[in-house]
Amino acid sequence: MKKKLVIIGSGPSGLVSAMTAVKSGISASDILVLERENELGGTLNQCIHTGFMKNLTGTELASNLIKAVKKLGIECRTESCVLSLTPEKILTVISPKQGYQKIQAEAVILAMGCREQSRGVLSIGGTRPAGVLSAGAAQKYINIDGYMPGKKTVVIGSTDIAFIIARRLAIEGGRVITVVEPKGAPLSDKKNIKEYLHPFNIPFELNHNVTKIYGKERIEAVDICQLDKKGKPIKKTKRKLECDSLVYSCGYTPDVDIAVGAGARIKRDTKGPYTKRNYETTISGVFVTGNAHYIHKNIDKILKESVAVAEAVAKFLQKPNQQKKEKKNEDNAHINSENQE
Amino acid sequence: MSIKSYDVVIIGAGITGTMTAFQIAKYSLKVAVLEAGIDVASGSTRANSAIVHAGYDAKEGTLKALLNVKGCEMMENITSQLGVHYKKNGSLVIGFNARDLEELKKLKERGETNGVKGLCILNRSELQKMEPNVSKDAKYALYAPSAGIVCPYDLAYAVAENSKTNGTDYYFEFKVDKIDYDGDYYTICAGEQRVKAKYVVNAAGCYADEIAKMINDDLPFEIIPRRGEYMLLDKSEGKVAKHTIFVTPNEKGKGILVSPTVDGNIIVGPNANIVDSKADTSVTEDGLDEIAKGARIIMPGINLGAVITTFAGVRPTPTSGDFYIKESEKCKNFVHAAGIESPGLASAPAVSEYIVEILKNAGLSLRKKRKYIETRTPKGNCKIFYEMTEEERKEAIKNDPRYAKMICRCEMVTEGDIVDAINRPIRAKTIDMVKRRTRAGMGRCQGAHCRTKVAEIIARELNIDISEVKKFSSNSNLLLGKTK
Repeated sequence: MKKKLVIIGSGPSGLVSAMTAVKSGISASDILVLERENELGGTLNQCIHTGFMKNLTGTELASNLIKAVKKLGIECRTESCVLSLTPEKILTVISPKQGYQKIQAEAVILAMGCREQSRGVLSIGGTRPAGVLSAGAAQKYINIDGYMPGKKTVVIGSTDIAFIIARRLAIEGGRVITVVEPKGAPLSDKKNIKEYLHPFNIPFELNHNVTKIYGKERIEAVDICQLDKKGKPIKKTKRKLECDSLVYSCGYTPDVDIAVGAGARIKRDTKGPYTKRNYETTISGVFVTGNAHYIHKNIDKILKESVAVAEAVAKFLQKPNQQKKEKKNEDNAHINSENQE
Repeated sequence: MSIKSYDVVIIGAGITGTMTAFQIAKYSLKVAVLEAGIDVASGSTRANSAIVHAGYDAKEGTLKALLNVKGCEMMENITSQLGVHYKKNGSLVIGFNARDLEELKKLKERGETNGVKGLCILNRSELQKMEPNVSKDAKYALYAPSAGIVCPYDLAYAVAENSKTNGTDYYFEFKVDKIDYDGDYYTICAGEQRVKAKYVVNAAGCYADEIAKMINDDLPFEIIPRRGEYMLLDKSEGKVAKHTIFVTPNEKGKGILVSPTVDGNIIVGPNANIVDSKADTSVTEDGLDEIAKGARIIMPGINLGAVITTFAGVRPTPTSGDFYIKESEKCKNFVHAAGIESPGLASAPAVSEYIVEILKNAGLSLRKKRKYIETRTPKGNCKIFYEMTEEERKEAIKNDPRYAKMICRCEMVTEGDIVDAINRPIRAKTIDMVKRRTRAGMGRCQGAHCRTKVAEIIARELNIDISEVKKFSSNSNLLLGKTK
């Protein structure tokens, strides 16, 4: 199959890129959006809190964007996972419906978002029982699956989502014993402490960290210590708190597996791909937007960037490029023989 | 109630026990494996360096030396028979000064006496060429081309599955607490459960001494639980080392290593601390500091910010320093395989042959099975989607569209892989059992994105509610009831 533009990911960045691409002159029928999950919308689907584009919830924003994209007639395929991308922009895609497929694109927008950092970066001592989970996973359990990951919880981290999940647990009848942040200042806006934690009497402790996990099967308790200026635990401040769950939010990294596989260069600081001014990665015709590019401060910045990226892609596709065409023909011969369907 | 009776019962489903079951499964015998844990490889086999040692460490003339070198040689055939990922990546012991060089020379000599092939001492520039990231202060290295890497539980699953396919029974959560002997048959009890056997192999790892006591036997040494802690680095760092790199050993042992794993991560560790409990697999802050320091001696530029998980394993260290594989002096037809610490993984193929030889000499009749199945299942060896070629992937998806449904993106695990793991000869019934068989949740997000999906599939396949799904054992529920 051939497509002018393939967008990988249907979160806010992917959907806004798709919409903008049409507005910038790319025909809707030339665009394909690929989504790994069963539903379009990405992480927005588990964000039932407000704060998206003024005062929408994440799910409302998702549904608005999905409606708009569908109205434009852009094809979006769910349950479609990109296994690889080549520098020639051939995508290998699997999905239960379409099977094993190769798609030749003229341009690709990487909009896969990000992944949560694992517990490993915390290097907490102790056991590895059930009930220790990331904030994103906790949010999915509660908001999508309808299950409580814990009822007596300690939270590590001060990102937006750390606070949001603390509040969410409290709303669902859980008790959040404390929220600790190893650094000296919260990562999230200070007003969020007031908004999310204070109304539920959830304590928030800066310069504190969990230093040990107890419990053989399910988590039973944690040690919490104050940290000195170098970030080392002050032993005499250690206190043991009983809990049945530990939720951590250690930040995010851009999802770059596809970009790396294609040979794109990755920046050391942002951990996302290098980009030119037009958001093109080091691979010609492969663009990146949203949290797949770098971790953005908020949704508005992601949406803004995605508009700019789609406009840059439209410009790229309008440029006549003889060399590009020749190359494409070669690849097509290859594709046709490879394709299953 | 009639008690099931076997020719041979093996206590312990670690690498020693399962490998022994694999060797015995070739013969026409009734065999069972009893395991206290919920799964194969629940003890020392689960958490170690995943190294197939070449065999230059063990003292000349010891059983350890003999079986290590032989086991290492056998590894290639067994892993290729069962489709287990194994890589002969070679090992390097690096030295920083003249004293280290003397030690390396001694190691080389010892290795050659033990029968290790291809050992040579490298100078700085040769070392630099092989491992550009190794410390600039490392001036020498002992190179052992026959050393390799293998995933220890993957190997244990493979041999266990093959033996089960060939008729071996497996009992899990069968914690042996009593053994009676009537002079002909042993009755082995775990609470109310019991089985009978003519021959027994004690491959209980850290608990081998306790099993020995149940037949009023005393091992001529003590088993000391020694814990080793590890860090695992993201695959983004997977290329910083090609070989398994050790420092020159001292009186404290082989020390901390930096090695690639067969799955493309980097493993760093272990330390070696005596612990009170044989089940103490917790990690400590001090321990992690210690291995971080050790890793930086080998590779000053190593990116320890890329740690995705930390873990620890407990090893059954015998005070005698050697493997003890012998028929009990008190009770006939009862074979101890005790004190199998490192290099127990590398030695396992040879250890198991050695055990079978002892059983044979004790009178066990070994008649080859007529219908021996060489592979892990009657249908062949399993391959996970990640390891399939393009053609195999197309074929798998054509036969079962669930292989086109991605569940764990970090490690490229599909629903087909997970369903297969749940329905394999030894069924995966928990999140961790699925994880170790498929790698779902072992990548950089450590299951943050896929754990709920895996739980859903387990619930569906086992026909239980999702809130009943466990992480590993009976009290490790993932979820605590519904939301409001």
